[in-house]
Amino acid sequence: MDIMISGLRRRFGRVEALRGVDLEVPGGMFGLLGTNGAGKTTLMRILAGVLSPTGGRVLVGGHDLTTRAGRLAVQRRLGYLPQDLGLYPDLTTQEFLDYIGLLKGLDDDTARRRQIGELLDMVGLADVAGRRLKGFSGGMRRRVGIAQALLGDPALVVVDEPTAGLDPEERIRFRTLLAGIAGHRTVLLSTHIVEDVAQTCQEAAVMAAGRVVFTGPVTGIIDRAQGATWEVVTQGPPPATGVVVSAVGRPGGTHYRVVSPTRPDPAAVPVQPSLEEGYVALMREAVPS
Amino acid sequence: MRSRFAAVCRYEFRMQVRKRSLWVSTVGLAVLIAVAQGDRGPRHLPAGTSAAEVMGSWALLFSMLLPIGFGMVLADRLVRDHRIGAASLLASLPTRPGALVAGKYAGSVAATAVPGLLVLLVTAAGEFAHRGDLTLFGWAVAAFAVVLLPGLAFVAAFALVCPLVVSAPLFRVLFAGYWFWGNMLGPAYLPSLTGTLLTPIGDYPASWLMGEKALYAGDSGWLSFLRPEPGGGAALLSVVLLAVLASLPLAFAGPLIARRTSS
Repeated sequence: MDIMISGLRRRFGRVEALRGVDLEVPGGMFGLLGTNGAGKTTLMRILAGVLSPTGGRVLVGGHDLTTRAGRLAVQRRLGYLPQDLGLYPDLTTQEFLDYIGLLKGLDDDTARRRQIGELLDMVGLADVAGRRLKGFSGGMRRRVGIAQALLGDPALVVVDEPTAGLDPEERIRFRTLLAGIAGHRTVLLSTHIVEDVAQTCQEAAVMAAGRVVFTGPVTGIIDRAQGATWEVVTQGPPPATGVVVSAVGRPGGTHYRVVSPTRPDPAAVPVQPSLEEGYVALMREAVPS
Repeated sequence: MRSRFAAVCRYEFRMQVRKRSLWVSTVGLAVLIAVAQGDRGPRHLPAGTSAAEVMGSWALLFSMLLPIGFGMVLADRLVRDHRIGAASLLASLPTRPGALVAGKYAGSVAATAVPGLLVLLVTAAGEFAHRGDLTLFGWAVAAFAVVLLPGLAFVAAFALVCPLVVSAPLFRVLFAGYWFWGNMLGPAYLPSLTGTLLTPIGDYPASWLMGEKALYAGDSGWLSFLRPEPGGGAALLSVVLLAVLASLPLAFAGPLIARRTSS
């Protein structure tokens, strides 16, 4: 299910959260990176039909999201995991999924229950299907969240910051889960965690201050830091120029990795950039400090 | 549409009926009323009093305080979707806001009605122990349906929707104030809705069941055109008017939720 966005704007009072977003999302897993406040969640909410745009055009699978009929058509084929999804504490996992399944229009009881069982197996929650959601950990809640998003076998899955606040083990588990569902559908993963995109997506976009500042292969983000990534080993203070991306203390001194268009220190040596460093270089270009 | 309404209704019922505060407040208030009623309370009705009058009296007595508890526990049913973070998910589903609101309303009213009905049935059992009249149970259900339920449905509509405009705690304070002013403050003292057809305490239906003026129904006062003589017609009119009034806030709920979700 392809997504075509042109000139998309969204205003909240005096604040313009989206300032003319242009973006094309093909099928498969697609990452949307950006700092907090870049406009990612607003874009996700518009794609989920929760918000209406102030201006511009959004076509999802050919349906125009600026119309009510278009939003409803997309919502019938959508799985959405919002940022900070709340679950009803008085319901069990099974009941919650059944409730959402019914609201998605899965009226066939047998088929719905079978699908819930399969999804609970997939997200590793079959053992707690009858337990109330009240005491679930953050990771378990996200897994319930992705299970509800996949109910009805949606063609488009929109997940907003799904790994924020999870411990490393849960994050890896969740990323693997996401990558596994992207086979025949479009999965749009919004996150500020570069590693999540690096591990799961081949294509990505980067947002800053309400605009898309990059779109293309993930390797293209890395290229932005080619020739601008340095390693400096020193026992003194960190280099004064550039952005220090990492600092590792070792016996010979601290190893700094720095993104800077110019050599930040006479002892600095150029190194191969990572995605995170490419992202830092991109953000420095897009939002100069 | 109908199946989604039924789904929301079913799960809202399930969540609400599991809410401990609903049972604690209903049972607590019912025990308080049963114990603290004065000499004119239904416990002291003489032997030979008709079952309709006995259960009508009990229903009116419970109706004085139980709806306060109902209003308090229902005040978070719509706003909590925003509070706990489920509102965005619900808005992303192909279910119209009207079905959501109607389902939540019907489910929460039904769930809140369960302890109210049980309280009246337990009371009927207590009365049966020394009056020995089996029809007490039937009249308990009838009294619940015409005295307690319309008031509950009226209270629920406002309790669900008003906290979308004012905060739930502020609504609870205002609601308690309204309840005493609009239901129990004698119309001779201050202009009030007490004794009118718009009194959700069930004054008119209880008067019809008891065959005499239950509380203030029809007493002269402010808005005299809303104070007909008590009777079957007036009781029916009171129930219909309460239902119409309850539908007004519900009509605004969908747009209010949409505005809140999109901000």
